[in-house]
Amino acid sequence: MSTVGARKQEAGPRPRVLVVDDEPQIVRALKVVLREAGFDASAAETAAEALDAAAVRPPEAAIVDLVLPDGDGIELTRRLREWSEMPILVLSAVGEESQKVRALEAGADDYVTKPFGTRELIARLHAALRRAGRPEEEPTITAEGLEIDLAARVVRVDGEPVHLTPIEFELLRALARNRGRLMTHRKLLVDVWGPEYVEDIQPLRTHIARLRAKIEPGGEAGSSEHRYILTEPGVGYRFVD
Amino acid sequence: MPSLSFLLAPEPPSRRVGLAVAVAAVALSTLIIYPLGHIAPIASLGVVYIPAVLIVSVIWGGGLGFLTAVLSAATFNFFHLPPTGHFTIHDSRNWVALITFLVVAALASWLAEVVRARTRDAQERRREADLAAEMARVLLRGNSLDEALRTAAARLAQTLELSSARIEMDARDGDERTVAFPLREGSGRIGTLLVGADASEANLRRLQERVVPALEALLSAALERERLLGGTVETAALRRADVVKTALLRAISHDLRSPLTAISAAGDALGSPALTDEERKEMTGVIQHETLRLSRLVDNLLDLSRLEAGAAEPRREWVSIDELIHAAVVEVGPGGEDFSLSIDPDLPLVRLDAVQMERALVNVLENARRHSGGHPVSVRARAVRSLAPAGRAATPSPADGEADADASEPGAVSRPRGDRIIIRIVDRGPGIPPAQLERVFEPFYRAGTPGGEHRGSGLGLAIARGFTESNGGTLHVESLPGQGATFVFELPIADQAQEADGVRDGDGAAERTAAGAGAARSEPGG
Repeated sequence: MSTVGARKQEAGPRPRVLVVDDEPQIVRALKVVLREAGFDASAAETAAEALDAAAVRPPEAAIVDLVLPDGDGIELTRRLREWSEMPILVLSAVGEESQKVRALEAGADDYVTKPFGTRELIARLHAALRRAGRPEEEPTITAEGLEIDLAARVVRVDGEPVHLTPIEFELLRALARNRGRLMTHRKLLVDVWGPEYVEDIQPLRTHIARLRAKIEPGGEAGSSEHRYILTEPGVGYRFVD
Repeated sequence: MPSLSFLLAPEPPSRRVGLAVAVAAVALSTLIIYPLGHIAPIASLGVVYIPAVLIVSVIWGGGLGFLTAVLSAATFNFFHLPPTGHFTIHDSRNWVALITFLVVAALASWLAEVVRARTRDAQERRREADLAAEMARVLLRGNSLDEALRTAAARLAQTLELSSARIEMDARDGDERTVAFPLREGSGRIGTLLVGADASEANLRRLQERVVPALEALLSAALERERLLGGTVETAALRRADVVKTALLRAISHDLRSPLTAISAAGDALGSPALTDEERKEMTGVIQHETLRLSRLVDNLLDLSRLEAGAAEPRREWVSIDELIHAAVVEVGPGGEDFSLSIDPDLPLVRLDAVQMERALVNVLENARRHSGGHPVSVRARAVRSLAPAGRAATPSPADGEADADASEPGAVSRPRGDRIIIRIVDRGPGIPPAQLERVFEPFYRAGTPGGEHRGSGLGLAIARGFTESNGGTLHVESLPGQGATFVFELPIADQAQEADGVRDGDGAAERTAAGAGAARSEPGG
């Protein structure tokens, strides 16, 4: 586990992570894994306990199980979001896309499906924390060969300007400004088109396909591997840099 | 003329009345001719007899009609045709009158007979239609086709005045007492109508021509309906099974993934070189604990599927309840809570599948300990007498030779025993709300308690009840919310429950505590 070990070397105080799960064995293992990855982990068994713990000593991030004895992780996420911007990762064992979507809409940043590799969990946690630490306004977003100049509304692929329609540009901007974060269909529709279009998933798919054709390397239609815009089936899209 | 319809009643009035009416009508006609003789030529007055002939012929038929015709001709001849007072048979007028009367009688009686036959036919058909309608109602409405067929056959016999009638759903042959009518649908045989052999030729013809085709159509519809009903019931059952299966899959997915997650995370942690010895031990513990939990879940799922498939046939043997309970307590293992046992030393042996009942007890004990919040769980077992007279205990059971041999020993029957053994498992947990007393026995039902160290699979109680019931016992729960719950096993004692040396006094009555090591809890961090 070289990556996990390497994180420990990072400077500064260890970020505190609150693990909310009523499975004591999972909590036990996660605490060791998180400590090894350079975090300071604490645990709560119930939603009520988690709210108390977070209020007394706000953590930098939270990992929340969807199934809790006194409610569900979705409700807990909503309650935490009322006063905190901390990244929230949801653990789902249910395998149901609707649950994940609801958690994301309640304000969760991402989800991991049980059983998960701890490597993936740690990577998502780091990505979420990085995102949280970024300034609100960025003039330019760069990812490998892709350069998005938000102020000038210019997109370049390998230095060559690419023409995007206004809708395509807004989509790319919404995804890129939340890079690493899973954006639900609903959230993208509301951000780009407005609240009255939340159900129109089909046009969203069409625009994403056109956008991919313009910016993805070798991004002809039908290419299954995407470099920048990843699909989370049934949930939404994620921009990776 | 509806008022005259009685004239054409299907069955004519008695012939004696007919004869009297004929004589009276002829006499009346003869009398009427006397006054008429002054205003018309006598020879033309023969027509006065025609109404008499007509009426008698129509009502009583041709025979009496002809008699009236002859009588009229004779009377006319004797009283009115000159020379009166003599039969002048050579007079041609006499022959004209006689032939006229006979033709009238023949025509009238024939017409009447035709109408009468039609009426009879119409009434017969109406009865048959009524019968068919009633059989349709019986055959197409009732739930049991067998019963419906019996009712329909009885109705058929009653309507057609048959000595017996039966409808069978297979191919049969008649014998000396019955006549068989095959019932077909297309080319296939769907059944047989059997009627008493003493039925009249006309009835048999009616049966073949009109009853059998109707019955074939009805029976085929009834069979189709039964098939459809069966299909509906099956569909409903399948749909229910589907709902259960979905719930099962969802629950299993959660129950499998949680231990897998813990094992996988602990495995990842163990791969890190920087662990302390204590952490390493803890992670190994997590893996062992969760592996055990997975294996128990698999066992439970197997038990449950066996129970649901009806494949959990108990292998009964004589079992000591005392031993069973102790074995179950050992099986539950050390876990930080206590069980306090109080077992009546005089419990008789019972015939049970020891493995299944131990399983049931273990599951209930585990559940009680899980919810008892650290308080000891009390386990009490005693026998109770039912209100039924104890005398029947003396009846030897031929099914069990072993029991017979023991029953012959002095004292085996003379000491009265309870009819049931009752095992009460009392925890001091939060209790169960009245609405959930039955639901706790449903597979994958979990009480809304905080999880923690001993979170159950949601299968234990369903399996416990399944095994208890397959062994002839019952399992229910009593609870006052806030005051804990009491799970009650009631196990029947066989009539011949003999006591062998299986009950050891000192062992059972003693209060025993099985204290286990306290389990480590995860510390609150922060």
